[in-house]
Amino acid sequence: MSLLEVNDVKIAYRMPGDDVHAVNDVSFSIDEGDNYGLVGESGCGKSTLAKSVLGLLDDNGEVREGSIEFDGRELLELSERDWQSVRWEDIAYIPQSAMDSLDPVMTVGAQIRQAIRKHRDVSKAAANERVAEVFEMVGLDPDRTGDYPHQFSGGMRQRVTIAMALALDPDLLIADEPTTGLDVIVQDKIMDKLIEIQEEIDSSLLMITHDVGVVAETCDEMSVLYGGKVMEQGETDRIFRSPTNPYTIGLKNAFPEVDEFDEQAISIPGSLPDLTEEPTGCVFRNRCPFATERCEDGHPPLDEAGGQLSACYYTDRADELREEAADPATWGIDVRDERDRSGGVGDTILETRGLEKWFKQPQGILEDLRGAEPDYVKAVNSVDLSVHEGEIVGVAGESGCGKSTLAEVIAALQERTGGEILIEGTPVDDLLGESTKEFRSRVQFIFQDPFDSLNPRQRVRAAVGEPLKIQGHDPETIDRRVRETIEDVGLKPAEKYLDQLPTQLSGGERQRVAIAQALVLEPTLLICDEPASMLDVSLKANILNILREKADERDIGIVYISHDLASLTQIADRLAVMYLGRIAEIGATEDVVTAPKHPYTASLLSASPKTDPDVDRQRVLLPGEPPNPVNLPEGCNFAPRCPKADETCRGEEPARATFADDDHEAACYHPVEDVESELLERYAAAREEEVGEIVESELTL
Amino acid sequence: MSFRRFLIKRTAIAALLTLIAVSVIFATLRLLPADPFSALVASGSLTPAEVEQIRAMYGLDDPIYVQYFRYIQNLFTFEFGISLTQQRPVGEIIVPALVNTLVLLLPALVVTAIVSSLAGMYAGWNRGSWFEQSSIVVTTVFRAVPIFVTGIFLLIIFSYGLGWLPAFGMRSPLANPQGYVATFASVDFLKHYILPFTATVLFYSGDFLMLARNSVVERKGSEFLMLHRAKGLSEMEQLGRAGRNSLLPLVTYFALRTGMLFQGVITLEVVFAWPGIGRALVQAILNQDYPTVQAAVFIMALAVIVMNLTADLAYAKLDPTVEAGDV
Repeated sequence: MSLLEVNDVKIAYRMPGDDVHAVNDVSFSIDEGDNYGLVGESGCGKSTLAKSVLGLLDDNGEVREGSIEFDGRELLELSERDWQSVRWEDIAYIPQSAMDSLDPVMTVGAQIRQAIRKHRDVSKAAANERVAEVFEMVGLDPDRTGDYPHQFSGGMRQRVTIAMALALDPDLLIADEPTTGLDVIVQDKIMDKLIEIQEEIDSSLLMITHDVGVVAETCDEMSVLYGGKVMEQGETDRIFRSPTNPYTIGLKNAFPEVDEFDEQAISIPGSLPDLTEEPTGCVFRNRCPFATERCEDGHPPLDEAGGQLSACYYTDRADELREEAADPATWGIDVRDERDRSGGVGDTILETRGLEKWFKQPQGILEDLRGAEPDYVKAVNSVDLSVHEGEIVGVAGESGCGKSTLAEVIAALQERTGGEILIEGTPVDDLLGESTKEFRSRVQFIFQDPFDSLNPRQRVRAAVGEPLKIQGHDPETIDRRVRETIEDVGLKPAEKYLDQLPTQLSGGERQRVAIAQALVLEPTLLICDEPASMLDVSLKANILNILREKADERDIGIVYISHDLASLTQIADRLAVMYLGRIAEIGATEDVVTAPKHPYTASLLSASPKTDPDVDRQRVLLPGEPPNPVNLPEGCNFAPRCPKADETCRGEEPARATFADDDHEAACYHPVEDVESELLERYAAAREEEVGEIVESELTL
Repeated sequence: MSFRRFLIKRTAIAALLTLIAVSVIFATLRLLPADPFSALVASGSLTPAEVEQIRAMYGLDDPIYVQYFRYIQNLFTFEFGISLTQQRPVGEIIVPALVNTLVLLLPALVVTAIVSSLAGMYAGWNRGSWFEQSSIVVTTVFRAVPIFVTGIFLLIIFSYGLGWLPAFGMRSPLANPQGYVATFASVDFLKHYILPFTATVLFYSGDFLMLARNSVVERKGSEFLMLHRAKGLSEMEQLGRAGRNSLLPLVTYFALRTGMLFQGVITLEVVFAWPGIGRALVQAILNQDYPTVQAAVFIMALAVIVMNLTADLAYAKLDPTVEAGDV
């Protein structure tokens, strides 16, 4: 018998007006000790399902039909009191955003202790012992149980929530996007820890994620959800090797791999179906390039297709569909000519020389009076970067590496503290001289979050027209150019969108409005700070395509900032990797990705999960976290975490061109030759040693 | 930043503010067109020479900076001078009045802060319930109606109508107790106490109720409460955590309200003929008794500053993240 059995569950949310049918007839089961994945984009119902298993649906949500059995017990009939004893004792939950999931005014130790003492009648001291134990299991310092959540970094907070989930040895762990919002290296370490522990305590795992790669690497079985329906279900390996459902095929194609740099990103056009009524046809039919009249005829049943279950009328043509789906034209995307990605083609648009942005640290009044030199956080530290016409330069790095500050300094949204910025050969100070108009018409910025960066009360017409108005154009020109630009970013026909408010648009549409807003002035330089990170994979590809197209068509230079290496490799001509304010490595994207020279770049690249089930990737267990940027060590910033570091590295900071091969430069004395043996195995060995020490110290106690 | 540094910095700022406040009081009174004695000349009862003598007696003929320093010096020792109209030290007038006011208002404020906040948290947790809606309506009505009107209604119903409670003062005309214990720990005092106390509680209940309700409503959808719920905490335990996370605005408001306590209650003291500091101030202003006015205003300013400081410190203690930033 399975541990968890979900049978024909229907969940609906009561909304003013209409009910939203978030989940419709979903069934799946998890065996003891198994890892199960629920994959899908936002709005597919995966989180709703997870919450219903814990009885945590919002007040307006209810399970209308079906059954959820756990260990032979029907969960849906439990009273609130019975629920309270099932929660955490039997089923524990790892929440999505570790940043907000911990009670800010309670020490982390107290929060875990609370979970223990709620279910077990143990003394405070015994509970504290257990807290220290689980802290050690997840690799946190047991002395820090008395700290508050804000004293931990994002990755460490996620470890705290994992520790909390482990506290009572639950039979089932539900992890709801446990690594969203974390950097790849941290994500890799957390996933490694989670899987390791889960195998150790022999519990089952329900993993909910939009990240196809994470599921491919961790789960035995999975379901692909779309619009509240299961599209495909079965063994993970099988599904990724030969998906039979057009949606799964599309999702897999849209999910970029780090080393696929010559392929055009494929997106799924259109937007999510309206769920205010129960689906009458296939939920995917309005976005599916293979849909026929037959698909109107009720959602297809989940049928056996090549070893897995798939909800499609055309599973018998799966091989054919897969082949066709690999061609962007099938999805209505204009096929681009393969471009020359050598970079450095046209004139230089942007050049920075020794650019610096240092933030002064607050110090005491006494120190001020004594005239002591304050500490600085060197967010951007002597960065040389150039961007040419029609070129996209990607800037990659973990959060806190200074990449966003770099973007804002270049866009003159923040003052620089040193160095020079030249736009088309003119120093920025000259451009900014009298007013910012001249500068702003040449340099535009696209922000990360399309939900916050648009004024909620401004209609699309006004939002896109505003920059033109500031520049003093007449109303007719404004109207004409607004229409042109809106259609240019793929919002066709313009009439449909001009009078809409941001709330009426989907996430992808909003970000396109933001791009239109930036493009309407026909700038020569566009700076994009993670423009696609808030969007679903199928929409992400679309944004990347638009940017690539504009760079090629209009000869715009683009600085593309992101922590997502896979999308960077798809879009960027050249790639710069930043670590603690410095560029560690820079070069043509292909060179950097295929032959990374800096150990940090190599680690970053190896940390990206792979969707291909046949690849057995070694995880990147890079020790420690980036050091405190205030008191950086002498020498190379990366030396404290680098297995190859020696005295030279600790003594003197390597110049950027320490390794140089044409355009490819890396600030490293000992460039990497073989990633596997030089880095990954050493990381793993260092960690074994560490674990060994802990075990030993426990034995001696 | 350590808590100690935070404490030192905040206290220094509070001290500076106090100095500024007393200087403003000093300067404002000197700017008035006449001094209290010129009226005596105009009325013909004293000659200019005699007035000069009196001014010298009060030290008013010294240069202004000497007066200023003496004034500051005296404030440090809580020496407020001699009342011009009652010929006794200002302290003797102000202190009992202050005590009477505090005895009335502090317990009222504490009770309403606790009861209304708890009710507000419960209301916010059960959003849309009958309790939430009626509690908001009732407390808003009492907040909107001026406190003296509520007071008069209470008097009409309970004193004149039902005759259960006395109508004014804080003791019966015949009672003449000595010392604080005898004054405040008697049934007679309690009877006089109930009505003004109730009026104050009702008046301030709306503020705390709405504040508590709103911050609990804000917390309600938050991720950490979801995690608390997933851990198996009961409904009331979850509300407890939501309440703990909503304390900040409440404590701040409580501290600020306490600091401004003396300003809002003058009408209340007049309606109930409560011998408090509000009434003392009104009388002193009418009589142009400047030392008393100075002292009363100083105490009010000091209360605001001290309670602001308390609010800041409570903030740092209640919210562990405050210490981390430079506030």
